[in-house]
Amino acid sequence: MSIMQNFSKGLWKENPIFRLLLGLCPTLAVTTSVNNGLGMGLATTFVLLCSNVMISLLRNFIPKKTRIPAFIVVIASFVTIVDLVMHGFFYELHKSLGLFIPLIVVNCIILGRAEAFASRNGILASFFDGLGMGLGFTIGLAILGGVREILGSGSLLGYDILGGGFPPVLVMILPPGAFLTLGFLLALMNRLEEKRAIRAGEQYEPPKEMDCGSCVLCKLDENIKG
Amino acid sequence: MIKDMLKLSLPLVVICAVAAIALSKINELTAEPIARAQMRAERDAVEAVLPAFVELRSDTLAVDGARRVYYRGVDGGEVTGSAFRSLSGIGYSGEIEIMVGVGSDGAISGVRILQHAETPGLGANYAAPEVLDAFYKGRPVEGVDWRVKKDGGEIDAVTGATVTGRALVDAIGKGLANFAADAPNLPAPAEAAPQPGADQPEPASSAPAQAEMTNAEIPAQPVPETEEAAR
Repeated sequence: MSIMQNFSKGLWKENPIFRLLLGLCPTLAVTTSVNNGLGMGLATTFVLLCSNVMISLLRNFIPKKTRIPAFIVVIASFVTIVDLVMHGFFYELHKSLGLFIPLIVVNCIILGRAEAFASRNGILASFFDGLGMGLGFTIGLAILGGVREILGSGSLLGYDILGGGFPPVLVMILPPGAFLTLGFLLALMNRLEEKRAIRAGEQYEPPKEMDCGSCVLCKLDENIKG
Repeated sequence: MIKDMLKLSLPLVVICAVAAIALSKINELTAEPIARAQMRAERDAVEAVLPAFVELRSDTLAVDGARRVYYRGVDGGEVTGSAFRSLSGIGYSGEIEIMVGVGSDGAISGVRILQHAETPGLGANYAAPEVLDAFYKGRPVEGVDWRVKKDGGEIDAVTGATVTGRALVDAIGKGLANFAADAPNLPAPAEAAPQPGADQPEPASSAPAQAEMTNAEIPAQPVPETEEAAR
């Protein structure tokens, strides 16, 4: 895979939210506004980038049997750094993301990339993989946050854009709104993907159910091994 | 056997040790900005709830083992208003911490929310300064039944967010009761220039004075007017 592909696959083909359906806990919880989505996405991107590079660097040093605790220590360290720095320099953002920053540790995108990619690939490839996946995640969160903020609060980035002509649909910024928005966005993504495949003359395969056997992570794993 | 175990665990030990050292360093580096950001947030809240002042002083009282900090805006030796934190645990989600300001005219000069975890779009709407000002600013401290209308009091609440409104009113009422009880024990405001006054034991420049109130008897219960509001 070329560097460009390592980078761009996270944006669309293997977008963590819309294609892999990974990291849904922060996805659903913090996307009540664009700002929160962007903040969470960028924090995750930073952690993903650092942990990918670090784990790729250490991939011959970490024994196979103790790799998971080693990955978690590396990831948790970077998350703590983000938490401390954000607390000191972005106080307001830290206040609104609050609890979800420490939870980046258990975001399965990061451990997933460490396990499936960074521990088997070089530093440069891992760097671009982390960057692409992180930006894909950030874009996904921002779109979700944007849709929910417009419909739920009638504003975008804190600015009133609907001017009171349209009453905000409160449910959109409550937890059910997250599921509704994600569902519609997934349907839209699948539709776009179908159109693209037909135009390119490819065989379109609708996404299978996310059971263990068809989970994309395992396929990634096989692809890398093979 | 032992060699195998070492082979497995040594890299992990090394990684943990490096991580611990790096984190302690970063913790050291960020401790000061974090403290500064917290102080700035507190200071912003104090400035927002107090009427105009020239000089700000803070005093700490120890009441029943708890520390209570009172900020007072001073202008030419006169106190223009006092601000203090208050807390309520009956919100919709977690504790709500607020800063309350009381002007020298005996009316609420402002309320700001310092910390809350209320539902975005419902209870969190209270956090907007306009909302807080509309509901609480200008209300006299004495003779107000600090309960929401739904509970028989006289304070309105945001539609659909009565629980948050109740918690805010609860926190304000409790804070006012504490303030009423503590006000006589607060040291006199420092004069603009240090002068030999009998009731002025400390120099004017000493900013946060630690006054351990051990000799003065502090009433443990709130004053009658606000007692039922503190429930």
